[in-house]
Amino acid sequence: MPGLALSNVEVIYDKVFLAIKGVSLEVPEGEMVALLGSNGAGKSTTLKAISGLLGPERGLVTRGTVRFGDIDLLSMGPPQRVARGIVHVLEGRRVFGHLTPDENLVAAYRGGRDARPFEELRDQVYAYFPRLKERARSKAGYLSGGEQQMLAIGRALVTEPKLIMLDEPSLGLSPLLVQEIFGIIREINARQKLTVLLVEQNAAATLEIVNRAYLIENGQIVMSGDAATLRENPDVQEFYLGGSGGKVDYHAVKHYRRRKRWLA
Amino acid sequence: MAYFLELLVNGALTGLMYSLAALGFVLIYKASGVPNLAQGAMVMAAAYVVWFFTSLGLSVWLAIPLGVATMFLFGLMTERVLLRRMVGQPVIMVVMLTLGMEIVLRGLVPGFLGAAPKPLDIGIGLAPVIIGDVFINREYLVGGVLALALIGGSMLFFRTRTGTKMRAVSDDHVASWAVGLSVERVIGLSWGIAGIAAVGAGTLWGAVQGVDWTLSGLLFPAVAVVILGGVDSITGVLVGGLLVGILGSVIPGYLDSYAGGSTRDVVTSLIILVTIVFRPYGIFGREDIERI
Repeated sequence: MPGLALSNVEVIYDKVFLAIKGVSLEVPEGEMVALLGSNGAGKSTTLKAISGLLGPERGLVTRGTVRFGDIDLLSMGPPQRVARGIVHVLEGRRVFGHLTPDENLVAAYRGGRDARPFEELRDQVYAYFPRLKERARSKAGYLSGGEQQMLAIGRALVTEPKLIMLDEPSLGLSPLLVQEIFGIIREINARQKLTVLLVEQNAAATLEIVNRAYLIENGQIVMSGDAATLRENPDVQEFYLGGSGGKVDYHAVKHYRRRKRWLA
Repeated sequence: MAYFLELLVNGALTGLMYSLAALGFVLIYKASGVPNLAQGAMVMAAAYVVWFFTSLGLSVWLAIPLGVATMFLFGLMTERVLLRRMVGQPVIMVVMLTLGMEIVLRGLVPGFLGAAPKPLDIGIGLAPVIIGDVFINREYLVGGVLALALIGGSMLFFRTRTGTKMRAVSDDHVASWAVGLSVERVIGLSWGIAGIAAVGAGTLWGAVQGVDWTLSGLLFPAVAVVILGGVDSITGVLVGGLLVGILGSVIPGYLDSYAGGSTRDVVTSLIILVTIVFRPYGIFGREDIERI
């Protein structure tokens, strides 16, 4: 099957800390898949294992395989993976703050014989994010959080990816902006047939736009399925979507500890 | 007045030549955040290399391009063989590494090629240029103009696509990897270009004061230049160089007769000290952009 496939991936930081243990997931070509979970569950680590960015944090994939189509990714460095069409939009945006938005896009442009001309790619980014065009001459470090997120996504698009991985694009943004950005992500997915792997804590907004989702807890995938199925699941509703909507008796809450039954 | 002007002009021109020695330091710091304490020794090594090629009977105009090629490769290899092992290590290890390189180069190169001062004639001539009442050292004049051209060239370079990628890498290594920039290659390139700048500085200073190990002492004014100008700014290198050169020429010009000489080093040290106390980022050094 084309697309991204992780099989039984294990990541260890600093040779002692086991961050994810046996994560398997699939992102079929052209689909939007979400990886949901709370703080420290291993979402970002999973993405970094795919993009090859564990090195600077002294992390290592110690077991399992990561394949994209029929390419084995683990033997490649990060730039080769980008050249094969995998791009990672980092958590916290990480734009090049001292460069203008224009220069941010230039920096990400790969060039090469089979690449589309830079101007075409840049205009496409500005078509998705017209607001960036207005700010094209100011330093990216002074853009607003939403604009920086748009720039980070636009910068990733300039690399002409087949799969884009977004690490918490909603972080620190107003609900309105989250909606706008999610809308654009869905549009890009639909229009360019770009495969999307979305990592989020904002489960409610995410399950609205993706096809499938995986839940990760303590470094393990604990549940997966269609977005619609997951939305209906009572455990997901309780732990990720803020309750099932009924009234809660707060006197009882103290005594009520529902065991998350997927945890060992 | 003529005396003052003379000190001023010659100081400014010397300063530009300091800038050239400092340029390599800034390039490497900008790309990788590594303070290259071996820059002085690289300048010295570059001067030796150019002299070595001329001593083989080649003309200077052939020896300089050969020197450029050699030092470019030397820079690339330094990054590949030494610096790449240091990724993720504490900064102090990198600092000690470059310091060690300085010491090794300073011993090894004169050891193989001869420690006695060697003349390097680049065909400038000795007669001073006289404008009005002011005597200008011809070597300084040529050196200053060349330095200005090279610094201007590197400013233009940072506007190109490759230069933009280099600035991106200096901003954020992980984000650069994430969009497919080869951080290692860009840092290697910065070492290569620093090697080229070292050839410029080494040739000019070698022509002025002869080629021997004392050229590595250029590290001291070069560090003063980058601290004053801002350690990651090319404009800072230019302005810092001019200031260090002018102050280091005008003040000793009046004080040396009282103090018995060598006040230039005092001035340079004071520049470093005062900058660090009052403006640690330097004049043009960038502060981190923080959004609140």
